[in-house]
Amino acid sequence: MIKYRVRYYLLILFAIVNVPVLAAPVIEIEIRDHLFYPDEIEIPVNTKVKLLIINQDNTAEEFESYELNREKVIPGGSRGVVFIGPLQAGVYPFFGEFYPKTAQGKVIVK
Amino acid sequence: MLLNSVIIILREVLEAALIISVLSALSQKLHVSRKWLIIALLSGLIGAITYAINIKVVSMALDGVGQEVINASLHLLIYSFIVLLILSLKDQSNHRLMVFAMVSSVAIAVVREGSEIIVYIDGFISSPELLLPIIIGSAVGAGLGISIGVLFYYLIVNISLNRAVKVGLIILILIAGGMVSQAMQLLIQADFIISQQPLWDSSSLINERSLLGQLLYALIGYESTPAPIQFFCYAISLIITIILTTLTIRSYQQRPEL
Repeated sequence: MIKYRVRYYLLILFAIVNVPVLAAPVIEIEIRDHLFYPDEIEIPVNTKVKLLIINQDNTAEEFESYELNREKVIPGGSRGVVFIGPLQAGVYPFFGEFYPKTAQGKVIVK
Repeated sequence: MLLNSVIIILREVLEAALIISVLSALSQKLHVSRKWLIIALLSGLIGAITYAINIKVVSMALDGVGQEVINASLHLLIYSFIVLLILSLKDQSNHRLMVFAMVSSVAIAVVREGSEIIVYIDGFISSPELLLPIIIGSAVGAGLGISIGVLFYYLIVNISLNRAVKVGLIILILIAGGMVSQAMQLLIQADFIISQQPLWDSSSLINERSLLGQLLYALIGYESTPAPIQFFCYAISLIITIILTTLTIRSYQQRPEL
C-alpha cells in the first residue's frame, strides 16, 4: 500500500517538474567530427527553448556559452539537454570547449 | 589545443585547490593531523572515477538534465559542509565534526572537478596525435592551479592563528557563495528554476574568459551576466556564512594564542 502511495507521489512530483519541459520547443543540435550541425539556430524573442544536443563523436564535448551563461559536458555517443531563453534579440555565440577551433556556433534571437 | 587544455584544467583544478589549501593550512594552524586530507583525496578520486564512468547514464537521466541535478547537489553540499565547518570551528571541542566537514567538502570538490578532468582527457586517448599536447597542457594547467593553492597555503600558515582563521574563513565563505551561485545557474539551465534576464553585464569590464575572470570565478563565483535568482541566493548564502564566521572569529579572539 505504502509502495503504491510513494509511486503516486513520485508521479505527481514528476508531473510538476515536467510541465515547463513540455511547453518549451525543442531544437536538436548534433555534434559530428567536432562540428555543430546546425551551427546557427534561430529562436524567437522571449521564448524558452530546449536544446537537445546529440554527440555523435566518441569523444566528449563541452557545450559552452558565456553570453548564454551555459556550460555542459556532453559525453561521447550520448546526449544532453540545455534550456536557454527567454532572451532578448541578439546574437549569442556558443562553442565546444574541448574542440574550440572547430566547434563554433551561434544562437540568433529574433 | 595545448593552451586550451591549460585553461580547462586550470579552471577545474583551481576551485578544488583553493578549498584544499585553505583547509590544510587551517588544520596545520589548529594542530590537526592531516591524515584527513589523504582520506578526502582518495575518496574524492574514487568518486570522480565512478562519476566519469557513469557520465553517459547521468547525462541522459532525468530527461537529459541529470548532470545539472547532480552537479547542483554537489555544489550545495560543499556549501553545507563549509557552513558545518565554520560552526564546528567555533566550538573546537567538537573535533570530529570539524574533520568530517573538512573531509566531506574536499572529497566532494574533488569528485566534481576530477570527474570533468577525467572525461576531458579520456576523449583524447583514442587520438594519439593529440594526446601528448593535451597531457602537457593539462599538466601545466594543473601545475598552475596547484601553485596558486600552495601560495594561499603559505599565506595562511605564516600568519597568527587568529588571523589565519579569519583569512581562511573569508576565502572559504566566498568560495561557498560561488558554489550556491553555480548551483542556481545549473538549476536554471535544467529548467528547474525560471530563467530571467541577467541583472547586469560586466563582461566588458572583467571578461569571464580572462585569467582574472577565471580566478575570480573560482574565488568568489564571479559571473559577468548573473541571473537575479543567482545573485539573490549568493547574497543570502553570504549573509548566513558572514554571521556564522563573525561569531566563530570572535570566539577565537577571546581565547589565548595556541
